[in-house]
Amino acid sequence: MWPIKFISSSIGKKIIMAVSGLLLILFLCTHALGNAAIFVSSHAFQTYANALHSLPVVVLLFGLGLLVILLFHIGFGINLFLQNRAAGGNRYAINTRVVKNSFASKTMPYTGLLILLFIIIHVFGFNNGPADMEVSQLVKEYLSNFFYSLFYIFSFCALALHLSHGFWSMLQTFGINHPRYNNGIAKLTLIVPAFFLVFFGAIALYFMSGLGASY
Amino acid sequence: MSDIDLNLQIWRQKKSDSPGAFETYALDKISTEMSFLEMLDVLNEKLTKQGLDPVAFDHDCREGICGMCGTVVNGVAHGPEKEVTLCQLHMRNFKDGDTLVIEPFRSRAFPIRKDLLIDRSAFDRIIQSGGYVSVNTGGTPDGNAIPIPAQTAELAMDAAACIGCGACVASCPNGAAMLFTSAKVSQLCLLPQGQTERKQRALDMVATMDKEGFGNCTNERECEAVCPKSISIRNIARLNREYLMAALSEG
Repeated sequence: MWPIKFISSSIGKKIIMAVSGLLLILFLCTHALGNAAIFVSSHAFQTYANALHSLPVVVLLFGLGLLVILLFHIGFGINLFLQNRAAGGNRYAINTRVVKNSFASKTMPYTGLLILLFIIIHVFGFNNGPADMEVSQLVKEYLSNFFYSLFYIFSFCALALHLSHGFWSMLQTFGINHPRYNNGIAKLTLIVPAFFLVFFGAIALYFMSGLGASY
Repeated sequence: MSDIDLNLQIWRQKKSDSPGAFETYALDKISTEMSFLEMLDVLNEKLTKQGLDPVAFDHDCREGICGMCGTVVNGVAHGPEKEVTLCQLHMRNFKDGDTLVIEPFRSRAFPIRKDLLIDRSAFDRIIQSGGYVSVNTGGTPDGNAIPIPAQTAELAMDAAACIGCGACVASCPNGAAMLFTSAKVSQLCLLPQGQTERKQRALDMVATMDKEGFGNCTNERECEAVCPKSISIRNIARLNREYLMAALSEG
């Protein structure tokens, strides 16, 4: 069976990582778009949340789809990490990295697991709030807590670091590496993580700093 | 021209299955005009005169084109100078009193035979599984009978510059052989003569690469940084494309 052979090959696994990574980035874009309503008003955000949840089938399907994509990304990522540790690992008395700025690529599995921890806390928190509290109030309730917000911002930093290698790596895996586009790709690899860090970080800071107290 | 004194820590291992360890050697008055291999020759003459076993290391042409030599010097494959093999690395890159830790190219797929000498037959087996053109391409064609754009020919030549030394594998944090395999796939898939077996070649060579025990590429770019022939990871991107296309239609 060719799909089985494909996903068991080294390049096949990388392509699964890249495709699932791209879908997760696209999800982050829609998530950011929805959350932008927070900056309008609590009413706008609640209206958006109500509109979304008036379509439970869509929410369920997208949720399950996202879970499958996430499981693929995590499962293959851990598999690759373990295989590579067995094949490479610390095999020299002196390990010197020639490439500058290799911190992000070296820490991919760890930033990934940190993001997973964040996702679990984030999804659990917003699905198990007090029954009488609307989501627009819940977000203020949670993020007004200094340490809760700090954890969010820390996680967004991990996400930015993860993407600062992941975005370029994804395109390389798709085979997109051409002198005409490489400069643009290098810029995008800074812009995309910075955008998510600034945007999501701003939401946390908005409530953390008290600016959003009467939003 | 000046002389330097060096402190060498060299990996010594009798056989593939025997345990190895670092041995320390002091080497005085090494001319900075020497190549790294000549420095090892001086050490070996000294060891032979003392009745000790000389350090085994691979070498052949000593002009950077055969791909035989190579060790890891202070954690960097082929040492600190860019775009040279170990034989072309000169001692002027080091300072008086330096300690050099010399280790073999390590990989799960490259068993150590003795000391710094490794067995790179895994590369040969990757080539054997598709790194050639086996269809009949006829006799010597007229010049320009098959038009190939200059740029394409250059890209194929750039990939063909790979000498198969194994520095890419040695420097890869995952011990992956993607730069080597991608160069060998690229040099053929870019040219008209390589088209007939294009897809099968990508599938077979990647399958052999995986089977030999090399790791997976995670785009760390270390391979490109140490490659003595400056093989670009653009070739890896090309291999990813080649493999995907081949797997979708003929996998």
